[in-house]
Amino acid sequence: MGIKLYKQPELKDSIMFCGWPGIGNIGISAIDTLRAVLRAEEFGEIEPWDFFDPRKVLIEKGLLKDLEFPSNKFYFQRVNNRDLIFFIGQEQPTDGGTRYAEGQKAYRMASLVLDVAEKCGCRRVYTSGAAVTQIHHTVRPRVWAVPNSEKLINELNQYENTIFMSAIEGRKGQGVITGLNGLLLGVAKKRGLEAICLMGEIPYYLQAAPWPYPKGSKSVLEVLVKILGINIDLSKLDELAERVEEEIDEFLESLYRTEAIPPEVRDEIEKLRHIEPTELGPITEEEQKKIMEHIDELFDQEGRKDERHL
Amino acid sequence: MSFLTKRVGRMKDIFKFSQQPNFENPSLIVGWQEDTGKLSPKVIEYLNKKIKTESFCEIEPVGFFSLGAVAIENNIAQFPESKFYCSKRNDLVIFKGSEPRFERYRFLNLISDLAQHYCKIRELYTISGTISAIAHTGSRRILAVFNQQEFQKELQGYELVDMNWKGPPAISSYLLWIAKKRDIPGVSLWTEIPFYLAAGEDFQAIKTTLSFLDKKFNLDLDFAELDEQIGSQNAKMAQLREDDPDINKYIGMLESGLSLRGEEQMELTKKVTEFLEED
Repeated sequence: MGIKLYKQPELKDSIMFCGWPGIGNIGISAIDTLRAVLRAEEFGEIEPWDFFDPRKVLIEKGLLKDLEFPSNKFYFQRVNNRDLIFFIGQEQPTDGGTRYAEGQKAYRMASLVLDVAEKCGCRRVYTSGAAVTQIHHTVRPRVWAVPNSEKLINELNQYENTIFMSAIEGRKGQGVITGLNGLLLGVAKKRGLEAICLMGEIPYYLQAAPWPYPKGSKSVLEVLVKILGINIDLSKLDELAERVEEEIDEFLESLYRTEAIPPEVRDEIEKLRHIEPTELGPITEEEQKKIMEHIDELFDQEGRKDERHL
Repeated sequence: MSFLTKRVGRMKDIFKFSQQPNFENPSLIVGWQEDTGKLSPKVIEYLNKKIKTESFCEIEPVGFFSLGAVAIENNIAQFPESKFYCSKRNDLVIFKGSEPRFERYRFLNLISDLAQHYCKIRELYTISGTISAIAHTGSRRILAVFNQQEFQKELQGYELVDMNWKGPPAISSYLLWIAKKRDIPGVSLWTEIPFYLAAGEDFQAIKTTLSFLDKKFNLDLDFAELDEQIGSQNAKMAQLREDDPDINKYIGMLESGLSLRGEEQMELTKKVTEFLEED
């Protein structure tokens, strides 16, 4: 198991951005969009077989050509005299078959990512994910920022549309970041490395949806470009966000029309449409639970597939 | 057992040897406990019985299987097994195991480690069944996937059919890929099973697979027991066709190379499975 670097770029005071799949793929979409727009060059990978099962086999004319594993790749680019490293993982490693990183494998993966970061003279790491909250999908998502050191608070305060846990009702500055986004923050802290997790908001009734949530990714990306002091074209992400929003509208409309979800659940979702994110507690935890029971069930039914393995 | 001491000391706790046979560049035949039409376990059981094998080593289950409970099948409590077998013939090693739930890469590498460094195998054969839209009255083809072109050429003449496939990999394909990385020639054999026999046993497919192994390794297997089971299953199926015109029609369509609609496939599978389970 290990790191495979194809080249050793000479980097100094670099910044690393990490993205993995997660709720609404908010984090990975934001980081990978930035990587693609900046045309970062691939320079290494973490060998996948100790972490993941293969996803696909390619057999041609009776010969085993390839076995495809989820990839875990490193990229680099220099922008405005700043060295940037990107890490994009196609899956989160787990020990127990859960969706998000957990256990020894996750810790080993986080450690390997940070080994590369340190090797490349990295001084700060950014991770990104989703913040599941009570907002409507037509509202602009905010970005929840969680640093691993108090000294980063002031810096993060200057970014527009960015909030801390303490600003969320009832949380008193506390919470949990599941998966590698959180774990990496902790492992970085252990190594004395600065790290920040930026989480784009997603409506809780969409957290189990099989679609991406580009609106949340865009909010994260807006913060990242501010941090880097660059301008990038976000029009494609805007188009995608618009399309997804229309699809969500249609999906919810069809559920309301066919009464696949009860009218009171509909009313509770619709209540959120007219409430500003800063206004506290539009619905109760109990109401939220009730909505989730119905919506999760519907998404589960959509996602089931039966595939043969050879 | 120098390979154990030469490699990681911890491996001594993972492999449990009951004897230490000598091999002469044997071939490894791998079968899994769970398989379509029970092909893989039945082939290995038949082979083990007919060539009188004994288990000489097993892989400890800790870390690979969920050990919080035991499964019950046909009233009997089950436990995952991962055993290597040998016989007086020193040119064959057989592995029969349950598919690991966790750490599949490590598990498959353990099989490969023992096969490569202790048994010094020259080639690998994996045995599995694959669902096919064929009638039980026709012959079963063996589809094959090789990990080296030279080995593919070597086995020409055994009527294996080259396979094409792109999709989720089964554990046999995963093992074949690991063997490829270690430069061990290997082939995965996928014997066709009529889809409506997939839930039970397909004795004809079991015989087709065993016939290939018999020919390849000059095993001189006695098929009398299996022929009896094939005869009995065919007679039952003929009875069902006579009793149920729809079943007769569906199987007739498959015999003519016609495909069935989804609901027809479901009906055929349900009725055949229930009928064969009754006896």
